[in-house]
Amino acid sequence: MNDLSAILEILLLLGIPFVPIAVGVLLRRKFSPAPGAEGAAPAPMTGAQKAGRLAGTLLLWAGVAGILFVIVVALNFKGYL
Amino acid sequence: MKTLRPLLASLALAIAGGPAFAAEAVPWKDADYAAQFKYFQETEAFTPAQWRELLPEDQEQALRETREPARERQQAIQDYYTAVMTPWDADQARDYAGGTGAEDVAAVRLWLGPERAAAMQKKLSATRAALQAAETEGLTQAQAAALKPYLTQETIDGLRSMKAAEDLQRQADPARRANEIPKETVNAAIGGVSGAVGDYTGRSINKVFDGSTASGDVSDPVRAGGTAGKSYEIPREAVKATVAGATGQLGAYTARNTAAALGAAQPRGSTAATVKSAAPRPPPGTGTPPADKKSSAWTSDAYGYTIVANGQTSTYRSQKEAEAAIRALPAGSVSKITLYGHGSPGMQTVGDASYEAGDTAQLLKGKMAPGGVIQYSGCNTASIGDATLNPAVGLSMLTRRLMYFSLPYLQDRMDGVPAAQAKQQWEKGWDADLSRDTSLQMKGAIVCGYRTFGLVPGRLPGLTKLMGNQEATTPGYVAGKMVCYQDGKEVPAP
Repeated sequence: MNDLSAILEILLLLGIPFVPIAVGVLLRRKFSPAPGAEGAAPAPMTGAQKAGRLAGTLLLWAGVAGILFVIVVALNFKGYL
Repeated sequence: MKTLRPLLASLALAIAGGPAFAAEAVPWKDADYAAQFKYFQETEAFTPAQWRELLPEDQEQALRETREPARERQQAIQDYYTAVMTPWDADQARDYAGGTGAEDVAAVRLWLGPERAAAMQKKLSATRAALQAAETEGLTQAQAAALKPYLTQETIDGLRSMKAAEDLQRQADPARRANEIPKETVNAAIGGVSGAVGDYTGRSINKVFDGSTASGDVSDPVRAGGTAGKSYEIPREAVKATVAGATGQLGAYTARNTAAALGAAQPRGSTAATVKSAAPRPPPGTGTPPADKKSSAWTSDAYGYTIVANGQTSTYRSQKEAEAAIRALPAGSVSKITLYGHGSPGMQTVGDASYEAGDTAQLLKGKMAPGGVIQYSGCNTASIGDATLNPAVGLSMLTRRLMYFSLPYLQDRMDGVPAAQAKQQWEKGWDADLSRDTSLQMKGAIVCGYRTFGLVPGRLPGLTKLMGNQEATTPGYVAGKMVCYQDGKEVPAP
């Protein structure tokens, strides 16, 4: 039981940096520019859409940086870096 | 009356000849004056030839004047020897083994004889070998049994379990290093840094990290050398003080007689002026600056002690020198001390030295001024604290839990350690609060540490070469969440 809870905890901890990535991707999708008519240019983004995409992009890359951080720490802990 | 004349004449002759008999020359190392001659040998006041050249009355005067200093010196050596031969605890073993020199053994040989010197040497050799064996292959049962006359049982048990502890520490060490300089993250966080981080920049980064403006900086540190000294050496200052009174008087007549014997007009330099082994120690805050020797490595090897006492700031790289300097300081004189190196939950290292709460308290007991600050400049030297919305602090917490609980726990399980035992061990240690524990043992002092991993820009590979601070003894700016305690309660950073 201890082992299982420890492994679950590790998965949860390791998963935390993926949360902002997932939220970022969702935000970027939600605020993506609406597709225009066939062959036409997409409609220009509104201010809210721009803000939403920016927030999504920031979260996405913060999550990526967090994962890299954890990988570097883990590799260093094992003596590979 | 005539019959009385020979008698009176004999009496007169006897009275007149009395002083002559009394002032008979004393041979070198005469057994009746053993202590004085040992004293002469140690202080190099006389050589046998010089002694023979002295007039009998000068010899007598020298013996009379050195009687008391010699007795005191003999007592001091006897006390020292008694202390040396008492079973040592772990600290004493390390100090004696590292700090006792050939000259100390020689002094014991001179004053107490070759048997005692041999016994002392044997104890030192056995202890040194045991310390080395404990760190490498571990102590065997036979080796431990052989140490019984020399070390306390607790110390022997500690040495026997040292190998296991070393393995654990080795397991944790890379982790500490990893988080001192998480290169990509730090680079991203302080991408604009191209040289020394200024105060403004420092405060800004700190604010990003934890919203605080605290800094671990020591303002205007004056580099100064450490004082040389050994904690368990022969009490030379006391000896010197003892000798001082006698040497002045001795010097005068020694100079006169030796110069006369040599046929020289000028007085000889004071042969009895100093005890050979009594080179006075420089006071704390003076000496050769150790930080001048700068490595040109790309990576940092920065660690050290910074002691602010009586308005003077001194820095040290050597544990021995720093601890000797601290011991030499008067009580209540330290207004701030910074221990800079790597940290992990419950422990701070400074170079090869490591400090847990009890070690720091023992070292600084009575030395701190009211409200004096003990600053641990190392990662995770305080507990993680309350929940936070700061993502950087959150990542630090997460990494700390992974590194100091999850991974060691799984490693232990793979090594066959029972689950309950592994969990209990690592659960207890991963969030240890070194600063708080120290403050509970150092009443009145303010003890500060970091709740997070500390990012020291000056330690960045490459940057450290540019700044030439590979062997810095003070951290400068540290990006991390600092916390301070006084008597176990959180207080604002001073």
